[in-house]
Amino acid sequence: MTPEISGFSFPNDVHVWWSLMIVMYPYITGFVAGAFIVTSLYHLFGRTEFKPVARLAMATSFAFLLVASLPLQLHLGHPERGINVMITPHFTSAMAGFGILYSGYLAILVLEVWFVWRHEIILRARRTRGVKRAFYATLALGTYDTGPRALEVDHRAITLLAGIGLPGACMLHGYVGFIFGAIKANPWWSTPLMPVIFLMSAAVSGIALLMVLYQVVSKLRARAPDQPCVSALARWLWFFLILTITLELLEIIVMAYERSESWLIISELLTTRLQFSYVTMQMIVGGLIPLILLAVVVLMNRYLHERVRNTLSTVAAFLCLLQVFSMRWNIVVGGQLMSKSLRGLRSHYDPEVFGREGILMAITLFAAPFVILWVFDRVLGIEEPEAAAAAAPPARGEATEEGSIHAA
Amino acid sequence: MEHARHVFRVALVLGAVVAAVMVTRGFLVPKSYGMYGPYRYDNVVEQMNVRLPLHRGAAACGECHDDQAKKRAAGGHKNVSCEICHGPLGLHVKEDGSVEAPPVDRSYLLCARCHRKIDGRPARFPQVVLEQHVSGPLEGHACLGCHDPHSPKP
Amino acid sequence: MAPTSTTSLPVLQPEPATPTPPEYGRRQFLADVMRLSGGALVFIAGGTVADALAAVAEKPRGEAYSWDEHLYAYLIDTSKCIGCGSCVRACAAENKVPDGFYRTWIERYVIGMEQTHVDSPNGGKDGFGPVQVGFTATKSFFVPKMCNHCRATPCVQVCPVGASYRTKDGVVMVDAERCIGCAYCVQACPFGSRFISPVTHTAEKCTWCYHRVTKGLKPACVEVCPTGTRQFGDLKREDDPVRLAIARDRVEVLQGHLLTEPQCYYLHLDKEVR
Repeated sequence: MTPEISGFSFPNDVHVWWSLMIVMYPYITGFVAGAFIVTSLYHLFGRTEFKPVARLAMATSFAFLLVASLPLQLHLGHPERGINVMITPHFTSAMAGFGILYSGYLAILVLEVWFVWRHEIILRARRTRGVKRAFYATLALGTYDTGPRALEVDHRAITLLAGIGLPGACMLHGYVGFIFGAIKANPWWSTPLMPVIFLMSAAVSGIALLMVLYQVVSKLRARAPDQPCVSALARWLWFFLILTITLELLEIIVMAYERSESWLIISELLTTRLQFSYVTMQMIVGGLIPLILLAVVVLMNRYLHERVRNTLSTVAAFLCLLQVFSMRWNIVVGGQLMSKSLRGLRSHYDPEVFGREGILMAITLFAAPFVILWVFDRVLGIEEPEAAAAAAPPARGEATEEGSIHAA
Repeated sequence: MEHARHVFRVALVLGAVVAAVMVTRGFLVPKSYGMYGPYRYDNVVEQMNVRLPLHRGAAACGECHDDQAKKRAAGGHKNVSCEICHGPLGLHVKEDGSVEAPPVDRSYLLCARCHRKIDGRPARFPQVVLEQHVSGPLEGHACLGCHDPHSPKP
Repeated sequence: MAPTSTTSLPVLQPEPATPTPPEYGRRQFLADVMRLSGGALVFIAGGTVADALAAVAEKPRGEAYSWDEHLYAYLIDTSKCIGCGSCVRACAAENKVPDGFYRTWIERYVIGMEQTHVDSPNGGKDGFGPVQVGFTATKSFFVPKMCNHCRATPCVQVCPVGASYRTKDGVVMVDAERCIGCAYCVQACPFGSRFISPVTHTAEKCTWCYHRVTKGLKPACVEVCPTGTRQFGDLKREDDPVRLAIARDRVEVLQGHLLTEPQCYYLHLDKEVR
C-alpha cells in the first residue's frame, strides 16, 4: 500500500486520489466530442464523404455520453452525493459546471438524435403492433407527420442543434482539460494549452474510434467500406494527430526551454516513472508510427489498394486510440506521482483489478457504449434505411444477426 | 406551422423535465446553505462542537497535581506542557469522569526526542550526543538516573 | 517570495468592509448572468436562501462566540523548532487524524552548498533521528507545516459543491456532510495540506482546532509546542503578539508566488523551503 518515494514528497502527497476512473473519464468524453465532430463535419460543414458514418458517429457520441458521467461518479468518496453538484453547484469551481454542461449537452444530443431518427421511429411505429407500437408511438410523441414539410423542419432543427452541439461538445471536453489546466498547484497540469490538447486528442480518439468501428461494422454487414469515406477519415485523423502531437511536444519544450522551476522534476518524471507510457506509448508507438502510417495513406492515396488502405488506416487508428489513452494516463496519473514539493516522485500507480475504481470496471465502462450501440441498432437502426436496402440484398446470408432489422 | 407540431411537443417535454429538475433541486438545498456564502452555515456550529477539547493545558493538570505543577513551573521544563510527555488530559480524565492512568514513558527515547543532538536542531538548544554522554549501552532509564524530568538541571 | 507590497500586509481592518470571501463576487456575477438569461434556477435558489435566513433567525447562533470579532492568523518561527514532533502527536490525538495522514507535519532540511536533503519520517510524528547525508551540511533546520488557511485559497475555489469554505474568522474548513470526496481540493492545494480521510471518505484538513479556538483555547499544536515555535493569534486584537510580529517583522509565506495569501506566516524561512 505505502508507495516508494524517491526524493522528498509532502507526507500527504503520496496518494493517487484520481484513479483509473479519472483516466477513463476524459477518454470517454473524448469519444463523445470526437464522434460529434465527425457527425458535424457532415451535418454542418457539408462534408458529404462522411455520410456513410454520420449516423454511426452520432449514435456513438450518444452511447459514450450515456456512460460519460459514470467514471466520475465511481471515483467519488461518496458516489451517492454526486448529485450535490447539481443541488448546490459552487460556480467558482471548474468542476461545478459539469452538471450543467453535461445535462445541457445531453439534452442537445438527445434532441438531435430524436430529430435524425424521427422518421425511422414513425416508420417502426406504423409497422409494429402491441407493446412495441406503444413504445415507438411514445418515442414519436404521438405525431406521425412525415410529410416533406415536416421533414424539412426536422432538417432545419438538426442543423441548428448540430450548430449548438458542436461548440457544446467542444466545451464539454475542453472543459475537462480546463479542470487540469487551471490547477496552479500542479505544474505538470497548469498550462492554458491543456484544454486545447484535450480537445485535439478528443478529435483524434473520436475519428480513430469511428475508423475502427466503421471497419468492424462493414465486416459484420459483409460490405466493403466506402473508400472515399475511409480516406477522408484518415486525412482528418492525420490532421488532428499532427496538431495533438505538436501541442503535446510544445508543452514540454516550452517548459524545458524556459527552465521553469518544475522542469527538473517533470523531466525526471517523464523519463523514469512515465518512460513506458509517455516516451514509448504516447510519443512513439501511438504518435510517430501512426503519423507515418497515415502519411502513407494520405499522400499515396491514389496508389493504394483498397485492402492496404483499410488495413493501414485501421492499424493507425488503433494506435491512435492507445496514444490518447496513454496521454490521459500520463496527465492524470503522472501529475499525482509528482509531489508538490517538486522534490519527490512516488512509485508507479497500479490500479486495483476488482473494486469500484479497478481495471475490470474500466473495461466494463469502455465496453458499455458498444452494448448501448448494439441496443440502439436493434431499437432504431443505426444505418439509413435506403443505404441498408441498397446494399443488403447480395449479402443477406452473413448479415442476418446484425442487419436483419433493416430488411423490412 | 402545423408541420412543426412535433417540435412543440418535444419542447414541451424538455420544459417539463427542466422544471421538474428545478423544483426537486429547490427541495434538496440544505436550509442554512448560502446564508453567509456558498456553504452550509450549520457546519460552522457543528465544527465548533465537533468534540470536547482533549488537550486542556498545564493549569488544568495542576488542579489535581499541584506539587508536580509547581515544581515544573519553577524549573527548566516550565515551557514543556505536561501533555507532551503524559498525553492529553482528556484521555486521562474522561468525559464521564472516569480516570485512566496516563502514559509514563521512562525510556531514554522520550528525552532523546528533544535533546539528542541531530541535524536540524538550533545550536543554542540543550542537546547531547547520546553515545558520548553515557558510557555503556543506551537502554532503559538511562536519563532518569541523573535528571528529574519535572525539574531538570543540566 | 516575500510579501513585499503593502497590500499583502495583513493590516487590521476595524470592520471588514467586505467580510465575504473573494469568490463570493464571482458567484454573484454568475448569479447575475443567470438572472439576465432568465434562469429559473436563480429564482429557486433565491427562495431557498430566504428560507435559510428565516430558519436560522429562529435559533441562537453558536453560543456566546461571535465570529465577527475574530480573525485568526498563525506564526511559525522556524529558528526555534527542535523537531520534537509533539505538535504532530497532539494534533493526531486531538483531531483523531488517521494514521499515515497529517493535518500538520514537520520537515527537516539539511543543506550544503550544492545539495539539499529534506525528510519528514512519518510526518515527524515520532520525532527525528540522526541522518546521514552524502555531503557536507552547512546548515539545517526544521519547518513545521500545516494548512495555511489562505485568504484566496484555491481549495475553496475548486470545491464543486460548496463543501469547503472560509469562515468569517478566517478558518478554512470542510463540511463532511456535503463533501462528495472528489479530491479536487486535494489536487488544488499547493501545500499538500489536505487528504481524503480513509474513515469518512471526505476531504479532511487542519481546522486550527476550531472546536478549541472558539472556546478561547489555543490549537492543540500551539498548546503543546515547548519552544514557542508555533503561535496562534487574532488579528482583530490590537496587542496580539502574532499581529504585531506580522505587522513589524519580516515575515514570509510559503509559495508566495502562487498568490494564495496564506495566513500562516513564517519567520526565518529559507529559500529551499517550498
